[in-house]
Amino acid sequence: MNALSEEVKQLIIDTLDLEDIEPADIDYEDALFVDGLGLDSIDALELGVAIKKAYDVKIDNNSEDSKKHFYSVKTLCEFIAANRG
Amino acid sequence: MKFTIKKCVAWGGGLTTDQDWQEFAQKGKELSLEQDLPALKQMPAMQRRRLSPFAKLSLHCALSAAEDCLATVPSVFASRHGDLQKTSKLISDVAAKEVLSPTQFGLSVHNAVGGLFSIYTGNKAPLSAISAGEDTFFVAILDAVSKMNYNAYPQILLVYTETQVPEIYAQYVAQEEYSMSCALLIEPFQSASASECEEDKAIFELTLSNKEQGDKSAGDDENPHMQALDFLHFYYSGVEQAEVVSKRHTWQLKRTTC
Repeated sequence: MNALSEEVKQLIIDTLDLEDIEPADIDYEDALFVDGLGLDSIDALELGVAIKKAYDVKIDNNSEDSKKHFYSVKTLCEFIAANRG
Repeated sequence: MKFTIKKCVAWGGGLTTDQDWQEFAQKGKELSLEQDLPALKQMPAMQRRRLSPFAKLSLHCALSAAEDCLATVPSVFASRHGDLQKTSKLISDVAAKEVLSPTQFGLSVHNAVGGLFSIYTGNKAPLSAISAGEDTFFVAILDAVSKMNYNAYPQILLVYTETQVPEIYAQYVAQEEYSMSCALLIEPFQSASASECEEDKAIFELTLSNKEQGDKSAGDDENPHMQALDFLHFYYSGVEQAEVVSKRHTWQLKRTTC
């Protein structure tokens, strides 16, 4: 899980052009969107595409489940680990 | 069509300040192909990260030209090619059957930079995005001044931007193109009595005439210069008039003081 979380953090940084942010700056359990890291809805779409490409997992747009999966690095990693192709 | 210009901000071809542009117009300072971009440090990093060179050039000029009326000024965003670097990348992805990036797609549309401007400034005034071939710059002035006069706006912001086209399209471009942006804060011409006249305030007039059929005198080719650069040359040189000929039109620029 640890290696995957580092991978996901790097994927977030590269995909979303987060200049000046290091993987260590992204908390494992904190919110990625709005209050936490400050990502927005366009980032969510972009991240969905990147995760689908990298791990071959399918993500339902706009479902309540997706919101839970995208909450933090931790929830994303759990989702990817459970669904990756 | 008469109007006045409250502020002009241009960036491109290695020229970034009023003084640079004066030297370009008055002393023949040459443009270079280097693409140094404005830093836009005033914008939060989370918003700035999505800005392409095209968007950075546009927003720098727009924010500087309209700094006193950012939240309220109506605007016209103009570009001949738009952010073609972005569009071209998307088209390549389509051809390669890659999944398209939603962000790149959203930011490649012609009104994307106007949208970024509106989000950053909280400006909800009418905004349009236009493209009109090699005549884009002057057509944008026509559009802006017509809109301003018809709606009785106290001012309107015109933002023209071009970046060099991707290599694959370069063979189709006849003009000598530079990556550049120019923003004008335009105000109405009011025929005030002489006593109310601000001293030395220039009044500009732009007149369009269609070239007569078979008129070979002006040539059938595109103007080798970008129209915006012809305008900036006129604006900063201080001359009273200039004529700019394109494939379809002849444009007259005049400057008077009241």
